[in-house]
Amino acid sequence: MKPTRLIWLGVVALALSSRVLAQDLPEGGIDASTASLDAGPDDAPLPDASVDDDASAPGAEPPAAEPPATEPPAAMLAPLPAVEPDPEIAPIVVGRNVVSSPAPLEPEDRPRAVLGTVVGLLALLALAYLGGHPRVQALEQRLGISQVITAGFPFVVLGLLSRRVGLLSDDLLADLSPLLRVGLGAIGFVAGFRFGAQFRAAPGTAIARVAAWATAVPFALVALVCGAALLSFGDELGPDALRDPVFLRDAIILGTAGAMTARTSTGLFRTDDAERLLARVLRFEELAGVIGLAVVAAYFRSLAEASWQLPGTAWLLLTIGLGATIGLIAYAVLARPYAAPDFVVLTLGTIAFGAGIAGYLRLSPVVVAFIGGSVLTTLPSAYRDRVHGAIRRVERPIYLLSLIVIGALFQVDDWRGWALVPLFTAARFAGKWLGARLAARFAGIDLTSDEQQVLAVSPMGPLAIAIVVNAQLLYPGGSISHIVVAVIGGAIVTEVVVQLKSRRTPSGGDGPPPLASIALSSPPERMP
Amino acid sequence: MIILLLVVLAGLMHATRSFGPEGQPGSSGTSLALGYLLVTGYFSGLLAKRAGLPKLTGYLLIGMVVGPAALGLVSHPMLESLTLVNGMAVAMIALTAGSELELRELKPLARTVSAITLIAVLGTTCLLTLAIWLSRPLLPFLSALSGREAFMVSALLGIVTVAQSPAVVVALRDELRADGPVSRTALAVVVLADLVVIFLFAIGSTVTKAVFGERADVARTLGTLAWEILGSLVAGAFVGTLLILYLRRIRGGVPMFLLLVTLVIAEVGGRLHFDPLLVALAAGALVRNASEVADALHDQMQVSALPVYVLFFCVAGSSLHLDALAVVWLPATIVVVVRATGLLTGSHFAAKLAGAPPAVRSYAGFGLLPQAGLALALSLLFTRTFPEFGAQGSALTLSVVALNELMAPIAYRIALMRSGEADRGAREEETAQPLLHEQPTD
Repeated sequence: MKPTRLIWLGVVALALSSRVLAQDLPEGGIDASTASLDAGPDDAPLPDASVDDDASAPGAEPPAAEPPATEPPAAMLAPLPAVEPDPEIAPIVVGRNVVSSPAPLEPEDRPRAVLGTVVGLLALLALAYLGGHPRVQALEQRLGISQVITAGFPFVVLGLLSRRVGLLSDDLLADLSPLLRVGLGAIGFVAGFRFGAQFRAAPGTAIARVAAWATAVPFALVALVCGAALLSFGDELGPDALRDPVFLRDAIILGTAGAMTARTSTGLFRTDDAERLLARVLRFEELAGVIGLAVVAAYFRSLAEASWQLPGTAWLLLTIGLGATIGLIAYAVLARPYAAPDFVVLTLGTIAFGAGIAGYLRLSPVVVAFIGGSVLTTLPSAYRDRVHGAIRRVERPIYLLSLIVIGALFQVDDWRGWALVPLFTAARFAGKWLGARLAARFAGIDLTSDEQQVLAVSPMGPLAIAIVVNAQLLYPGGSISHIVVAVIGGAIVTEVVVQLKSRRTPSGGDGPPPLASIALSSPPERMP
Repeated sequence: MIILLLVVLAGLMHATRSFGPEGQPGSSGTSLALGYLLVTGYFSGLLAKRAGLPKLTGYLLIGMVVGPAALGLVSHPMLESLTLVNGMAVAMIALTAGSELELRELKPLARTVSAITLIAVLGTTCLLTLAIWLSRPLLPFLSALSGREAFMVSALLGIVTVAQSPAVVVALRDELRADGPVSRTALAVVVLADLVVIFLFAIGSTVTKAVFGERADVARTLGTLAWEILGSLVAGAFVGTLLILYLRRIRGGVPMFLLLVTLVIAEVGGRLHFDPLLVALAAGALVRNASEVADALHDQMQVSALPVYVLFFCVAGSSLHLDALAVVWLPATIVVVVRATGLLTGSHFAAKLAGAPPAVRSYAGFGLLPQAGLALALSLLFTRTFPEFGAQGSALTLSVVALNELMAPIAYRIALMRSGEADRGAREEETAQPLLHEQPTD
């Protein structure tokens, strides 16, 4: 695709957004919070023909000649009910303002705090020392958990424990919350950057077909199995429950996260062809994951949001337009011969800015940053490798700190989430296996047994975690916590299973490279 | 092109702000402010450099322009939500400063440093006390007090306004890659003066409270001081030991460990009533003087130095109280002039007395002019300690900080250029055989 095409795509998206906006908003422009509240019947938004086809969706009011003033614009799906953020998540979503400012401790409380801090820091040092010790690493290999360790999951545990013992207070969590959003943006940006680079070098329609099978089947299977389980939790089995937007949202999120694959498995079977295949397939899988998240963020919105009330399609177009804009800004900012530290500042700043705008509009930072990263690579620049280097420098610390925050949000006592873990893992493996078989048969490309196995036995990547955490930020209450537990728990179980499988495979060699190496700690991928 | 980009970014920021609810930005607002300040701050620094100004003046100016006092693109809640990031920035800057304090190199400067601290800093405090006391007709809250009360409050305000800024001194030294007796003396003096000012403020506020008829608990004051200063130094020694152990034994993942350590210093240090600046300074100084891994630490800190500086000074600029300056501009200007005169003259005289080289006599005093974090923190403390007139007193000190923050870095930059120390650090690095250290890897 020519570089200019993506720009045009962004411009068209923005133009279409404006068109939808113009149709759906009363004269006099946009009033974020009062457009639908203050407008009289005459000023009520006009239904959009393009998005009105499914007005009979569950929960949606039937179209009326004069809709009430509080009605949202016609949408494909009914708006989600407003939910209060879970107390565990509130500091992250709402920020420090909801909690009291940290006051200096009274003298009698200080010794305990000093002791806790000293023990915490010493424990951190000891963990770091043990983590790098050859004997401990050998033990991890024997237990089959080295991959789990390398992937950064201990940071999830660190966050979880720190929150439980009170070291990670609500105040501190609120202060750290921007890191989570920047971390999500960084994961999206890196994925988009690599997708754009690959797409620029070799679009590969056959690979896209393989990816379509390898993604669609596990998506459907995970959504189906876990969705049924979610329904049974809510005692809402029945035809109406299947049309519930909350259920549909949860099923899409679960399916999307389950369809994701990490690059780690490219080293699993040591076959160059398989490695190349998966490396290309997973770029398309990431695209699919981003599309799933974009759809969720655009079409499943709460009416209670103090923001513009637009149809889902307008939000989707706004997302694309915003992503393209961030990509163009990134291009304008980064396409110069700066020194390495300057690239770090600008890359970090651009990602944080994009993630911040997305968060402000209640869109997905992952999606917006993905589109931005794709646009950036599609545009001509002699400094692409240096941008890549800057991203590599900042992403690992940001990602690991994000995992600490994710661990702090992890609701370990959510039994429904844990009950979903085996279902999620099994459905995902089954879906991946079936997807690989169907791709071999129908994708129009010869897949060797090695390649099929690589597609079938693959762990989940940071993007899967980013998708569910992003969903939790968008919908910080209700059933979403089950999904987070299910996906993170499933990711850990999957890592262990893949590790065990790789040890039984003779060609497994030294075992897989780190999961986080998708973008985090592996040697730099060559830019196509 | 840069200006066009800044306009586009401002437009996007404005459009985004118009979308969301006011006053409650949440974490997305913080992320938005973080990204916006990093990118716009960076380019403003470039513009400032082209104009022959320090980059950090560019950061400060853009912060001021986009902050709540002017365009309002970055709101008060956004700035407040960046408190932790800002605290981590202070800890990183102090860690860098500490890792540059080599006692062996400072030993020849010890006489000069102590003389400047005693004569210039303490002398200027007295001068400022007098100037503020004499400015009573311009400061209604002072004229309403009795003579003794007004004098003690003036003395306390004099202590607040004499405070310096190690952060600015370190940032300018890094930006200009300056090295030599002038920059080393200035850095040592501002670090020492930091301790002196904290000590003086604690004593001064206790005495002032006694003058106002409140029970003066001297033992408690001394205990608090000991906890804050000695406790900070001990905590710094502990953190420094951890850093040495980490850099020697583990090596991998140093940036991550540094991030966590600065996070702990900023968050826990503040809650324990330690001075995060002192903790980090002491840690850095210990690493420099008690181990061979200081260069490795310094290299790692350099990687993250630029984003830290950009963010710290943009936030500082956004937090400037221009509204207060509009009210008390005349007494604030008097205080700025008296302060600059006192510090420059006192430094010159003290350096001459200590037999310092001519460059130190002429230029080291300029390093004492910049103000930032400590003066702001003491202003806040002053407001809390004396709620009846604290806000009016703070208006004066905040205005003084605003003026010094904008002008003093320019003066110190010129001083470093004229002293011939600018770029000397870079030249020495190029000519010296680099000491090979094993580079930690992730």
